Amino acid sequence: MIEYLVFAAVFGLLLLGLHRKVIARIQTRPGPPIWQEILHALKFSFKSTWVPRTASATLYVGIVLIGIGIWSAAFFVVFAGESILILFAIYMLHKVVEHGFGLSSGSPYGKFGGVRSVISAASEIPLFVTIAAIYLLTGSLILRDITAYQGVHGPLLFIAPPFAIAMFLVILSKMPYGPFSIVESKELVSGYKTEHFGVWRAGLAVTEGLKTFVLLYAFVAIFIGAVPFWAALVIMTVVLISLSFVCAITPMLSPYDSVTIQGLITGLMLVYTGYLWWVIP
Amino acid sequence: MKKKTFSYGFAVSAIVIIVAWAALAAALIPLWAAVTIFVIAFPLLVLFLTLWWRAPGGEEDIPFIGY
Repeated sequence: MIEYLVFAAVFGLLLLGLHRKVIARIQTRPGPPIWQEILHALKFSFKSTWVPRTASATLYVGIVLIGIGIWSAAFFVVFAGESILILFAIYMLHKVVEHGFGLSSGSPYGKFGGVRSVISAASEIPLFVTIAAIYLLTGSLILRDITAYQGVHGPLLFIAPPFAIAMFLVILSKMPYGPFSIVESKELVSGYKTEHFGVWRAGLAVTEGLKTFVLLYAFVAIFIGAVPFWAALVIMTVVLISLSFVCAITPMLSPYDSVTIQGLITGLMLVYTGYLWWVIP
Repeated sequence: MKKKTFSYGFAVSAIVIIVAWAALAAALIPLWAAVTIFVIAFPLLVLFLTLWWRAPGGEEDIPFIGY
């Protein structure tokens, strides 16, 4: 099991490297090598490390452990085919982690990033509607049951594509350089990550790798169904490249516009869910 | 903290993970117990490993003194 966890972290970092590469190529830049994020994690782990004097030392270090811990737990939840409700509870905990990263250092940039992570909680609302709709369709929130349902009825991607789009947008909101990436936008330097350097940043990179892997793997399991592991990796890569296209051609929205658009998406999802509730016997 | 402390931390977290992994393989502990151990020990392993190989040797930069 632990070997899968290490693989997930490394493959997730590789996907993030591919994300940067695809964005760069679309913008006619050479871009970094695909393994750049792995190199980044290694590079940070060799850098001088200390705790800033303005930081709350316990929270500053502890939040790195919590970040890796929650996404390790999320990985096992998805890998074992357990409840997506647990997965999305962990997803919500990540909001607390972002907030903790931002507030623990004492840096104004980090604080702004932490505050924006609260604002961007709007991106989680489409997720709630998606979960409700999945339950409405499949009668269960256990991932094993959802994949079994798709084995009989076909992928949810084709049965209810709006919900796949909603989850796609939820993952998009967590991708770096995306239209909803207000928590780490450049006017805040690196947002909530700004003051976590050296080993702490390497730990954050492991968190990011695991998070990317888990969210994409969950997307495949929920909307495509049970596929061989290698096929899941291929589909995850395709989904990631499509996310990169969106990130490459879309400017980062202002916090207000970001919340407004996510609110509108939630409204549309609610209407569609209401329609399904009406027509499903 | 000193390199010795990080070495102990790394060794303990690595041993805990290896023992849990072996115990799971031998069906001595249930899956949930092994996963719980991994979730707790893996973050510690990552941080102690990286802190261990970059533990200060007295040549570190001048620390940032805050805002």
